Amino acid sequence: MAPLSNEQVRALGYAVNLNIEEPDLTEVTHSINAILDSMDAINLPEANLVEPIPILLPAMED
Amino acid sequence: MLPEEIPLLSVVELANHIEKKEITPIETVRAYLSRIEKLDPQLNAYITVLADEAEQAAKIAGQEILNGNYRGPLHGVPVAVKDQIHSEGIRTTDASQIRTEFIPNEDATVLANLKAAGAILLGKLNMSEFALGDPISSAFGPAHNPWDVDRSPGTSSTGSGAATAGFLCATSLGEDTGGSIRGPAANCGLVGLRPTWGRVSRYGVDGACWSIDTIGPISRTVADCAITIGAIAGFDPKDKYTRQISVPDYYAGLTKDITGLKIGVVKELMDTNTMGTDPVVIAAINAALEVFAGLGAEIQEISLPLTKHTGAVVRTITHTERVSLHPEWLRERPQEFHHNTRVAFMAANLIPAQVYYKAQKLRAVVRDQVLNAFKEVDLLIQPTSSGPAGLMDLEPGVRSLEQAKKALVEGGFRGLYSLSGAPALSIPCGFTSERGTDLPLAMQIAGRHFEEATVLRAAYAYEQATTWHSRRPSIE
Repeated sequence: MAPLSNEQVRALGYAVNLNIEEPDLTEVTHSINAILDSMDAINLPEANLVEPIPILLPAMED
Repeated sequence: MLPEEIPLLSVVELANHIEKKEITPIETVRAYLSRIEKLDPQLNAYITVLADEAEQAAKIAGQEILNGNYRGPLHGVPVAVKDQIHSEGIRTTDASQIRTEFIPNEDATVLANLKAAGAILLGKLNMSEFALGDPISSAFGPAHNPWDVDRSPGTSSTGSGAATAGFLCATSLGEDTGGSIRGPAANCGLVGLRPTWGRVSRYGVDGACWSIDTIGPISRTVADCAITIGAIAGFDPKDKYTRQISVPDYYAGLTKDITGLKIGVVKELMDTNTMGTDPVVIAAINAALEVFAGLGAEIQEISLPLTKHTGAVVRTITHTERVSLHPEWLRERPQEFHHNTRVAFMAANLIPAQVYYKAQKLRAVVRDQVLNAFKEVDLLIQPTSSGPAGLMDLEPGVRSLEQAKKALVEGGFRGLYSLSGAPALSIPCGFTSERGTDLPLAMQIAGRHFEEATVLRAAYAYEQATTWHSRRPSIE
């Protein structure tokens, strides 16, 4: 996956009502790219088959 | 005993003296306040010191004990809690400029429980702003590691680690989402327990991530940790996700034999090439496994293949949820956040829904893998961190994509149990020397849901067979 550019991150910010400008913009770009790259690198077919139940429900089993 | 020696006692030792009326609570509190006055300018562990309130509470506790109403091993014992935990009539800041004026009208359940056990609140402890896991983001300046003040005390319960290791409180509470109890315990040479999710009430604790947050002790010994968790654990009608099951006497159960316990060592975290684990850490864990084998435990290797990804999964879930609690602050008051918090929150706001959803599905898979492992073994052991406490970079900023990714990988050392909700304890397992300073190394011991007693029992057996817990930082 190609990393997001600063311009793309700024545009994403507008979409959630955030005005992201320097000196924050480049660092936000690094941070979101790190998360997206790291999550994209996880290719686990079985993950598509599980139900993402929040932790509390299974933990309530005795 | 000289007053300056009182803070050096463990909770167990101090309680013994207090019960026998050899030391009074007011002597104890004054000894701690004197030490705080002397050392906290170096450590910056406290945001708020409650000198008058603590002295008043100590006088009452002393009178109760004189009257024969001794409540137990925390009666008259000075404690401190992370400033994320609400305290009635006392500001609770989350180490943020945004919260400096917030004064709760009620104690968090964990604090109320500590007080009910007779503990005396010395003060509120420094932390990463909003518990986001950054060592320098506190609006009150960073806390410092007593083993080397240039190093991080671990995040996000920075002050809980620094104050406890510096003998500025007898035991403390932290809050652990992605590792915020275990990390400070590891960096500061302490015992920190992340309890099972649902074992300890979260009521009155400012949330980081509702489905992962836990509150637990950071203490100097396993016995002190057992006493502290014993005081705060249990069902709370104010937190509907706490379980209505009995709380064992953790302290009484410490001395039970561990012969025959099956221990799995997490393979992926014992490989320098996979997660960057420092060889000195691997050697320390291997030595600890030999100790456990000598105590009668059976050791085997366990593979948990998603381990290396858990840091990214935890970050995706926790930051998305954390920033959703008060989105208006980021939009309306962005400059009141520390730079690093603001950048992290802005990035969290941009995480696509499908990525968050993928993280939730991966959490379910990780949880299954961990629970399956516990069908084979009673406990899992692994390093708490890749290495000893690192030097603090006091300059704010995310300088590169690689730096941001590295932080996610490091989170993987504590992610398995954040995602699975299983209890995990960090305990010192050795020391290494850097720049002429001895620095603690640490391992995690994790157990099945609600089996904190087994985790504590194994940790206690290991502690008694080794001497790491007897070493003290030289700060004076």
